[in-house]
Amino acid sequence: MADSTPKPSSSVKLVLLGEAAVGKSSLVLRFVNNDFQENKEPTIGAAFLTQKCNLPTRTIKFEIWDTAGQERFASLAPMYYRNAQSALVVYDLTKPTSLIKAKHWVAELQRQASPGIVIALVGNKLDLTNEAGASNSLGDDAESDAADGEDVDGDARKVSTAEAQSYAEEEGLLFFETSAKLGTNVTEVFTAIANAIPETSLKGIRGPGAAAAPARTEDPSRVNLTGPRDSASKEGCAC
Amino acid sequence: MFNLSSFVQKAQSFIDPTQALNISPSDRNPAKSTLFRHQFRLPDTQTPLQEITAELTISPPVIYSPNATQGEKDRDRDRGYHYVGKLHLSEGYLSFSTQPTSFLQNASTSTSSGFTGQTHGAGPGGNGFTLPLCAIRRVERLHSQNYQFALSITTWNGITTSLSESKAPQKLTIQLSGTRQACERFCDGLKRGLKSGVNDVQKLKRVVAECYSEYVLQGDTKKLDTPPDAGLGMIFKYPGDARKLRDRSKMRLWLEYLKDNGRNVTLIRQPTFHKLIRVGLPNRLRGEMWELTSGSLFLRLENPLQYSETLAKFEGRESLAIDEIEKDLNRSLPEYPGFQDSEGIERLRRVLTAYSWTNEDVGYCQAMNIVVAALLIYMSETQAFYVLATLCDRLLPGYYSTTMYGTLLDQRVFESLVEKTMPILWDHLVKYDVQLSVVSLPWFLSLYINSMPLVFAFRVLDVFFLEGPKVLFQVGLAILRINGEDLLDATDDGAFIQILKSYFSKLDESAHPKSEIPKMRAITRFQELMVVAFKEFSGITQSSISEQRMKHKDSVLNSIESFAKRTSIRNLGPDSKRLSVDELGSLYDRFYGILYEREQRSHMIQEETERKLKAMNIKAAEVVNGLAEMQSIEKGRVGMGPSPTMMDYDGFREFLAGVAKWAVTDSPTPPAKSMENHSYFGNTPKRRETLSPWGHGKPEPADHEFMHRLFRRWDVDMNSALNLQNVVTGIAHIKGKGDIMGSITYFFELYDDDGDGKVDREGILRISEALLFLSRRGLEGSLTPSQSVVGLSEYEAAFVGPAVGSEYGTTNERFLSSVSAFIRRCFEYADPDHSQNKAEPEKVENEKKEDADDMPDPNAFDIGDDSDGEDDLLDFSSGSPETAATSIISVPRPLASVADKPRERSVSKAQAEAANAALDPSKPLHITLPTFRMVVLADELLEQFFESSFPASFRISDTMVTTNNSSVPSPLTTFSNLGFKAPSVLSVGGGVGGTGAVVPPGKGLRGVLDNIVTEGMRVAAEVRNRMDEAQKEMENNAIQRPGDEEEEDDQNYDPRSAGGFGERRFASSEDRDLLEGADAEAMSVKSGHESAPKPNLLTPFPATPVTPGGSRSKNPSSATKEALFER
Repeated sequence: MADSTPKPSSSVKLVLLGEAAVGKSSLVLRFVNNDFQENKEPTIGAAFLTQKCNLPTRTIKFEIWDTAGQERFASLAPMYYRNAQSALVVYDLTKPTSLIKAKHWVAELQRQASPGIVIALVGNKLDLTNEAGASNSLGDDAESDAADGEDVDGDARKVSTAEAQSYAEEEGLLFFETSAKLGTNVTEVFTAIANAIPETSLKGIRGPGAAAAPARTEDPSRVNLTGPRDSASKEGCAC
Repeated sequence: MFNLSSFVQKAQSFIDPTQALNISPSDRNPAKSTLFRHQFRLPDTQTPLQEITAELTISPPVIYSPNATQGEKDRDRDRGYHYVGKLHLSEGYLSFSTQPTSFLQNASTSTSSGFTGQTHGAGPGGNGFTLPLCAIRRVERLHSQNYQFALSITTWNGITTSLSESKAPQKLTIQLSGTRQACERFCDGLKRGLKSGVNDVQKLKRVVAECYSEYVLQGDTKKLDTPPDAGLGMIFKYPGDARKLRDRSKMRLWLEYLKDNGRNVTLIRQPTFHKLIRVGLPNRLRGEMWELTSGSLFLRLENPLQYSETLAKFEGRESLAIDEIEKDLNRSLPEYPGFQDSEGIERLRRVLTAYSWTNEDVGYCQAMNIVVAALLIYMSETQAFYVLATLCDRLLPGYYSTTMYGTLLDQRVFESLVEKTMPILWDHLVKYDVQLSVVSLPWFLSLYINSMPLVFAFRVLDVFFLEGPKVLFQVGLAILRINGEDLLDATDDGAFIQILKSYFSKLDESAHPKSEIPKMRAITRFQELMVVAFKEFSGITQSSISEQRMKHKDSVLNSIESFAKRTSIRNLGPDSKRLSVDELGSLYDRFYGILYEREQRSHMIQEETERKLKAMNIKAAEVVNGLAEMQSIEKGRVGMGPSPTMMDYDGFREFLAGVAKWAVTDSPTPPAKSMENHSYFGNTPKRRETLSPWGHGKPEPADHEFMHRLFRRWDVDMNSALNLQNVVTGIAHIKGKGDIMGSITYFFELYDDDGDGKVDREGILRISEALLFLSRRGLEGSLTPSQSVVGLSEYEAAFVGPAVGSEYGTTNERFLSSVSAFIRRCFEYADPDHSQNKAEPEKVENEKKEDADDMPDPNAFDIGDDSDGEDDLLDFSSGSPETAATSIISVPRPLASVADKPRERSVSKAQAEAANAALDPSKPLHITLPTFRMVVLADELLEQFFESSFPASFRISDTMVTTNNSSVPSPLTTFSNLGFKAPSVLSVGGGVGGTGAVVPPGKGLRGVLDNIVTEGMRVAAEVRNRMDEAQKEMENNAIQRPGDEEEEDDQNYDPRSAGGFGERRFASSEDRDLLEGADAEAMSVKSGHESAPKPNLLTPFPATPVTPGGSRSKNPSSATKEALFER
């Protein structure tokens, strides 16, 4: 790696895990191409994409491994998260079972993946709730109205922010709620991960536990619920 | 002839668990009928019945003239194409192939897989035909001087065309070469097959009507008919530019070929056929050819309505697979217009759903949607359904299973092939840690469909269906070879993937754009790929792949299994936290190990049964099909996909026998005892010397009521089976509690059937019985003998000293005493059942008091041998209340004093009842948890039992020193072993010691103790027995006189009440076996072949099997008929 250049650039391997159809590939597509496809083909095995992320002090080149979500593909996952420095564990915030699956993945990663892996827990499909679209008509989702009466305004949300967040804090994960469809919070996730990757692991030395500290210091600023709203109004208009 | 020794060998390899776990006989030694089916792509119903060397002659149909003389006919035959090969007959098919085949009766394993070698592009079926017998219209025997034996076969070619008379029917000429006898035998078999095929002609007609070839080949006059469905392409256009694909000229060539060589089922494979496939199929024939070459057409022919019936049957039903399918419907080949339309999506939904119902083990796997979507472009829903079935079951075994082991395995195989064929590239990949399967896995899983542009992927599929899975490897290797130079520059996964991505996008470009020669320039990259794949990698054959699969299978399965184990253990929930990771790991292993082994065993037993059945009505089929088929031998292995996850009660017993020594039976079924059908469970007759329901060399589990209660307790979902979660939770509750109160409560709840916090008289007796059962092999854990000896010595010293020397012994002994005391105390402190006794509380109170007053002295609760054979073991004679509180019922004493016996046995039962309200069934009583707790805590040994020894008796982690049956001194030792006179009445009538003769006598002191324990258990049983009896007496309102009792006891001894006593069970099961043995014998006489008057089970085959050939040779006249068959 060119360490001598003023703005060093390094590669970071990132793996996406989560239940089928929670929007893993869509998150990547949004991040890499700033695009969204309604009917994305299911990922077979895994897809590989790269995207750069510019930080003030350095450039991170993400090598993104986007894995298949179906349960039976789970046994392939170790092949993909091998040597990953970061992971994005995605759930669908309109589907509580997907959070359970996400927790399983977090446990698997904590035990089996490289020590010090930076894990971000991401609740996707924020566009199906009413908070994302407060200032944005795209966020209104008529179809989910009938399904759920417990939340205000026919919100399709089934996993509360607090629940997921407290779990994330317990496990020392980054936490975001995103909408790949609207672009809400997507780049933020990747930037946060980039920031959380310890320098040591960038130089090829993966210091165990080194990731934990920076990850936590990022937490308060990143897991800011007002953040998503801001960016939603910024990026949401693009859709 | 049936190969018995090979079966025995397999049986042995199965019995040896290490071998059985690792080797699938089906892989190492594929059954010949499997090879046969794979070669001709026939359904599983087909077995090779006969085969004969033959020469196929195909005369150009134009030459045909019905009035030709014999000489002309001979000349015609000489003029046509000649192929020498093997002609095979199965139940429903006549197949011919020029590929070397070797399912000869005497073929060895190595040659039997020989034909899976190079096929030179012809596919395993080679040149020849695969003709359903129902497609044969007429078979004639030709009179010829040149040939010994020649058949002329007329087919139902063009069966759907009503005007076929105008055209010459398709005729094949086959010369059989072989002895006259062999030829006649073959013809005879053929004739029989043809007769049974007659009924299928209508079915055939319906099935081929869906083939596009029938439509295009019919005369111009009929072109008004609507063509059969040749896929979504007919509505939404086929992918690619038809002109660029030269679809028209391809179609013309095919029409020509089909005209001369038959269509769909009657098609004859000549070299041109394979060439035409290599250059790519025309759009409208593609579906049909895929169906034909993959063999799914034959599957459809077999059961043409399966698709529609399945859909109808499961309409409206929901499943996990359907949920998963729904998620993907809108995202399957979304770029193809047909799948942006509800028409395409509906078809896709129906096919995937129907398949998920027919194969629920596979259900739905992502990538299937892509494959089926691709199929649907070229074929009808029905056709796609059968092709999908063929793909999942045969062409891509294990690819889409729930563990995807087939996919992972083939990735490993692919990697090893790369290493072998491209070592430099391989070293590069290793050096830069590029994981090849990351790239290649989608190639295999979705058959290149979402890797290459569709038009090229379909070209690969054309060859794949004809030549089989090796094509996927050949193409994959060729891709790497062609891009080798560039790939050597790639130093990470990203670059690697990028190179291949861009290669795929340029497949239609010229491979040699800079070449001077126009012809070279015209070669596209795809053409180059095909050439490299099939020329350079022609050495990749089905057998080399099978070999590699064999080699890597274990490591792949192991890694899947360790992943599954990890995941499964992690997701066990909060209860599992009470156990260590190691313990969870071994619990997991034990749980699935038992499920797996049980599956294997039941499979073996089933095999065995089938084999026997077959042996009884021996047919030609089995003569040829010599090897036992064990395709699903590995079913049940976790890594292989859906495996059983639920453990039934018998499995649970086996599980317990593995972790707790008390769960091992005392009365193992005697080993290898002739042919006796011993059905300890289940009614499957089996041969004892090879197949034990518990596996060889493993402890046979006991069957005690306690185990049943435990099972029910753990079975929280009430489905009569336990999953791993249940077992872990169950164990965690016993082992993980760590406090005595929890342990006591747990035990109490086990016996509190209705959950009302009360355990009745019956329950108390059962508890005591269980305590004895659990302790009969000694107690574990931190029983501190020294301490307890000290603590108890004052009471015991008098009795223990001389009789028992070892501390181990004393513990056991004292435990028995404790249990006796337990019973008594329970009754003593039991509460009357108010619901029934409200009216007379005082009386009960009085009786209790009286009871207490009459409390026997410590020695009164006598357990001992009655040399007079009387069963009156309980003797509640008078005693002092002071001693009652600490009373220990001495066992040694009666033993020691056994010589002074017979004692005053005269205390009749009636008296005992009068003396003890506990024994009065008319006074229901119960104990509550606090009482139970108090009673337990009152006794140091019991306290220790609940505190440590019971939880410790479940030994999960350490490999248990297997209590081998032979080494365990059986508690069944009769008193005769000790020099005591065994009460003969007891050992026979009482059911104790029914197996005394087969059990090695216990030795010395240990034997004494065993006896004590046994006797103790008997006491408990007797107590309850007495209760039953008393109950009965109450009911009868007639008091039996003591004189009758002996007999009475024997009769009333309900075997169920002694459920835990193996010997009881054994005695009765032995009886049953006798009956069953008789049954089996009767059966075998009935169904046995006449020529085998003695159905000796040792030689399951009639001594003189009548082969069809043999019988036929006696009747040569039938073979001389000219028209062997005609419709």
